[in-house]
Amino acid sequence: MKSNYKDQLNVLIKLRSKIIRPLLFLTISPYFFFIGVIAFKPVMFSPLIFDTNISLGIFLGLVLILLIFIITLIYVYLANKFIEPQISAIKNNE
Amino acid sequence: MNKLILSILLFSTLSLATDGNGGNNHISIIMFILFVSVTLFITYWASKRSSTADGFYTAGGNISGLQNGLAISGDFMSAASFLGISGLVYLTGFDGLIYSIGFLIGWPIILLLIAEPLRNLGKYSFADVVSFRLNQRPIRILAACGSLSTVILYLIAQMVGAGKLIEILFGLPYYAAVMIVGGLMILYVTFGGMLATTWVQIIKAILLLFGATVIALLVLFQFNFDLNFFFNEATSIHKKGITILSPGGLISDPISAVSLGLALMFGTAGLPHILMRFFTVPNAIQARKSVAYATGFIGYFYLLTFIIGFGAIILISNNPAYLDTSNTLIGGNNMAAIHLADAVGGEILLGFISAVAFATILAVVSGLTLAGASAISHDLYANAFLKGKQSEKNEMFVSKLATILLGILTIYLGIIFQNQNVAFMVGLAFAIAASANFPLLLLSIYWKKLTTRGAAIGGSLGLFSAITFVVLGPVVWVDILGNSSPIFPYKYPALFSMTITFITIWIICTFDKSENGYKEIKKFDSQYFRSQTGIGIDSKTTH
Repeated sequence: MKSNYKDQLNVLIKLRSKIIRPLLFLTISPYFFFIGVIAFKPVMFSPLIFDTNISLGIFLGLVLILLIFIITLIYVYLANKFIEPQISAIKNNE
Repeated sequence: MNKLILSILLFSTLSLATDGNGGNNHISIIMFILFVSVTLFITYWASKRSSTADGFYTAGGNISGLQNGLAISGDFMSAASFLGISGLVYLTGFDGLIYSIGFLIGWPIILLLIAEPLRNLGKYSFADVVSFRLNQRPIRILAACGSLSTVILYLIAQMVGAGKLIEILFGLPYYAAVMIVGGLMILYVTFGGMLATTWVQIIKAILLLFGATVIALLVLFQFNFDLNFFFNEATSIHKKGITILSPGGLISDPISAVSLGLALMFGTAGLPHILMRFFTVPNAIQARKSVAYATGFIGYFYLLTFIIGFGAIILISNNPAYLDTSNTLIGGNNMAAIHLADAVGGEILLGFISAVAFATILAVVSGLTLAGASAISHDLYANAFLKGKQSEKNEMFVSKLATILLGILTIYLGIIFQNQNVAFMVGLAFAIAASANFPLLLLSIYWKKLTTRGAAIGGSLGLFSAITFVVLGPVVWVDILGNSSPIFPYKYPALFSMTITFITIWIICTFDKSENGYKEIKKFDSQYFRSQTGIGIDSKTTH
């Protein structure tokens, strides 16, 4: 294995975890916050928001569904933009 | 032979169905027959391309990201989740949303941690990945046990649900319904393999998304698309009033909440029929795209079921046409979406949704059966017992035989469990997937020190403990077996069984100083290189 090649691989691995870790955190923490409120303090989700008949719980639940989808879009965007060129560089070097 | 089975099946569907309640179900029968004819035609077309193992298990690996995204959502949006979640929203309001989010949250996990390495390392099944650098025989057997128990539990739950649903919708006897579903599923999978199964899923996903969209739009139309007005109506009609907008009693104690949360979050990433879909795309780029598409479709679908559930509260919970003498919905709460279709769209929409529900069941059981058959033929037969020395032709024969046997077993189990409560089975399938399949997959991809010994013992304990905790827990031990108090106090075992798996694997691998273990650790770097870059995988674009 050429040293240049090993460096490239390390760059790829670091790049991946730099993209994946925050997104993983962004997925897991709101979800367990949501579950945590339901388990420990469900009344927190009862108030109606913005003078409507929509409760905070329903609002945040629907936002969470949207967030989950947005996370997948962000990852696909970042992976195609940053990870793929790095992989191609390694492939060309092989 | 092919045509004979086909005509018998079609004829029996037709004749049995017209014996039923008659009237408004003619539309659904016509639509259903149309669906069956189209899908059988696809199966015939696919049969010519499914003669190789690659064609049979992965549809040749040429499915695009969008197609796979639709097929994945087809696999995931079962009749149980369509009718079950909209029924749950109808009954409890907010609590239905907890399940929707739980079923969706697994997708970013699959995308960020599993999808690309899975595609880069595996060929036909997730066991390919787990056994990549480990000892084939024990690991394949364990992975196949994990796959088969997940698949069979899921199949029973789908089949019993299917039988009952079709009984209500089409007036068919339960046995006949189960046999038609089982028979068609065997036809799709044995003759058409993954290619036919994928297209059945795609068509069904489009139909289901379209049908649910139409219901939701027709509901919202009645409220001028004013959500405020909409929720106001719902809370004034529902007998629990304003409380349906906040968490109810579905999950009461913190441990159950976290445990269910874990099972849903990581279980999805351990479902063999879902994982298998990632081998149908040509590369990691398409695998990635397909998850984003699937998440979008599934998330949208859950938004629709939420509107449908609330719509049902407003439009049918007070309408005597849909209630029986005890003032509950005819056919149970799970019929909320079906009755609502009739209420907002008349018999045409009712017929369409009924046919879509039937098609959904067919598609989901086909995907499950294919995953089960590949665990038997590819993992158990070809790799664990013959150690990869058999011919491809032989493996194909076994996979088709396995499909037929699994189909017959499913029909049989569907009939046996007719009057049992099977709702816990999907929960158990998720618990097994989260406690055995997912940890094995995750650690084999990312943890250098994983050895065969640790994986085999830890994975088996996870599988065994998930099953044991459910059997000794409140649902089976008390509700089904009739004992007075549960031995294991919680409904959802994942928190405990997942902990057992991870800790056992960690301890055993740390103390595994065997020579084999050392060799396996040494192979990690090259595996990791391939899983991260995809260099070394078969190029499938030349097909």
